[in-house]
Amino acid sequence: MATYDFVFDGLGLREWCGGSDGGAGGNAPLSMDALMSQARGEEAEVSLWETPFPSLDALHEACDAMPQSRDLTSGLEDGFLAIKDGLQVVVDPLTQPLSWALRNALWLMQAVPWWIMIPLLMVVAFAVGRSLRLVGLVGLSFALLAFIDYYDYTMQTLAIIFVCAFICVLFGVPIGIAMARNDRVQRTMIPVLDMLQTLPPFVYLIPLIFLFSVTEPKLYGIAIILYAIVPVVRLTDLGIRMVDKEVIEAADAFGMTDRQKLFGVQIPLALPNIMAGVNQTIMMSLAMVVIASLVSAPGLGVLVLRGIRSLELGVGLVSGLGIVLLAIILDRVTKAALARINASQN
Amino acid sequence: MADDTKIAIRGLYKIFGDAPQQALSHVREGISKSDLLEHHNHVLGLNDINVDMPAGKTTVIMGLSGSGKSTLIRHLNRLIEPTAGEVLVDGENILDYSPKALRDLRQHRMSMVFQKFALLPHRTVLENAGLAPAIEGKKPRHYADEATKWLDRVGLQGQGDQYPHQLSGGMQQRVGIARALTSNSDIMLMDEAFSALDPLIRTDMQDLLIDLQAELHKTIVFITHDLDEALKLADHLVILKDGFVVQQGEPQHILLNPADPYIEDFVGDINRARVLRTRSVMEKTEAPVEGLDGEVGHDDTLESVIALAGGDTAKHYRVMRDGRQVGVLHMRDLVRALVPSERDPDRALAS
Repeated sequence: MATYDFVFDGLGLREWCGGSDGGAGGNAPLSMDALMSQARGEEAEVSLWETPFPSLDALHEACDAMPQSRDLTSGLEDGFLAIKDGLQVVVDPLTQPLSWALRNALWLMQAVPWWIMIPLLMVVAFAVGRSLRLVGLVGLSFALLAFIDYYDYTMQTLAIIFVCAFICVLFGVPIGIAMARNDRVQRTMIPVLDMLQTLPPFVYLIPLIFLFSVTEPKLYGIAIILYAIVPVVRLTDLGIRMVDKEVIEAADAFGMTDRQKLFGVQIPLALPNIMAGVNQTIMMSLAMVVIASLVSAPGLGVLVLRGIRSLELGVGLVSGLGIVLLAIILDRVTKAALARINASQN
Repeated sequence: MADDTKIAIRGLYKIFGDAPQQALSHVREGISKSDLLEHHNHVLGLNDINVDMPAGKTTVIMGLSGSGKSTLIRHLNRLIEPTAGEVLVDGENILDYSPKALRDLRQHRMSMVFQKFALLPHRTVLENAGLAPAIEGKKPRHYADEATKWLDRVGLQGQGDQYPHQLSGGMQQRVGIARALTSNSDIMLMDEAFSALDPLIRTDMQDLLIDLQAELHKTIVFITHDLDEALKLADHLVILKDGFVVQQGEPQHILLNPADPYIEDFVGDINRARVLRTRSVMEKTEAPVEGLDGEVGHDDTLESVIALAGGDTAKHYRVMRDGRQVGVLHMRDLVRALVPSERDPDRALAS
């Protein structure tokens, strides 16, 4: 006897359920509760206080034809597996350049000797930030990481971030521009961005593991990009929408074409916002690169993972601090670039 | 349309709302602005505007905020599309223009100066001044001479490499004017161009504009809410209220013959002695008259004549233009003209 027998009896659906008695007599998998009560050898007597919610499982007890909730999740899984092959045919070639880029970036960053790489990164920092203190910070940080023999891991992490952040900007800025110019695009994109931003980072990995081989760098590349692309899209959209209406009007009044307005006025004036988005994107890819080490992303994240897995406290903490150091450098360099843009405009 | 009309506005309506065409039929039936808003939820921006703007002269459109003056000026280069009507520039209806022809109009034949300057903050003063040639695709070294010439002319020597935010408001607006002049267009639209400036700087800028105009003879359309500014600059004055033209004509004429109480109110507070000119109050005659006390210019203000006469109302002056007599000024008429028209004895007699 199940709690919700009366629903099906009352609606005259007993026939459809395929049996006069409840689910206990059916041949569907038993729920844990039913199994327990069976083991105790007693029919569960349900008081009003303990009336279960009419969930799929509770209804299944009353009627065999109702699916159980485990059918829902396994159905989703089967469905995904069914379309997986078709999806792979499309997605695999499309994302192959990402694998290629990641592999080459990883190779390049490690193949170049340290005595070229560290000065090169310092030069880049100077070109972007125009500050000697910043260059000092960059040099010192890399020297420190190299001194404790974390140089290779750092370069791997950096290579992944460079590639992923670059691709985020490559796709994020045009998407943001499209959103700013068209309200309908904005309305459809905002829920997608909201979902990408709130989905727990681990969840990205699950369908990707099914789709791609774990040995492929694009597996973690896609996860990082999906997670980190959101801020640059949002801030590009915001930045372009916030451009002074009067300036746009002046551009119109002097006969600019739409293209001239976009490249000559809107993008330059939205640049501070876009750069703030790039900064956030880099920070978020750094956060994700640690999680992505679960699916074979190399770099400092691997050491953090080792710290957790084999309880190597020292390794975990030092590599964690290494990531912080990297984050500080990347943040300061991009912020310095942002400050330079701001200084020239206001 | 007179030969010397540069811009003619014909039956122009602008209604803001979801179904402007439907609302237009109500407006043509004579519904009032407030009724239209209340019953049909549409805002009447402009109501049957007809204005001829003379070539080479300054037309000032004056009205309080909400009178539709900024909306009107934006119809002249189609930054706003009208609900109905025509805008004729050099006899061509610009509402028939293709996007390309419209861009050409904006690049070469009309330029605009904005209340809040609207300079491009990421470009230097020189690049801002050369915006029009830059839009055509010219490189800075090609337009630098022209842009520098106009920057010098508006008093910004050697500031070409600065960025707009490094300049004061008055100087930024000078860049705005140089930008309009560099485009070499016949028509300059000025949307409350001096309203955001301090009073002293505003006077400087007005003088600058008058100087430039004496030299260049552009067709200027100037928007303002300031009657003193309007009277100082206008050759042709259009007074706008709630989206329709209350009165238009020569400023002196409007001042002496206000068409309705709204304008009487408006002109009531003015220092008439400083605004009115001898030509507006003189008796027109070329016949020589005996027993005059001296000569005055036809464009002298009444204030200066009062000073000349030492306040004596019994004096008479010969009014001269280009060395020729064009009229006789009786101090008695002059004093009468200083009194606003509602107490004007001539009008009282006429009515």
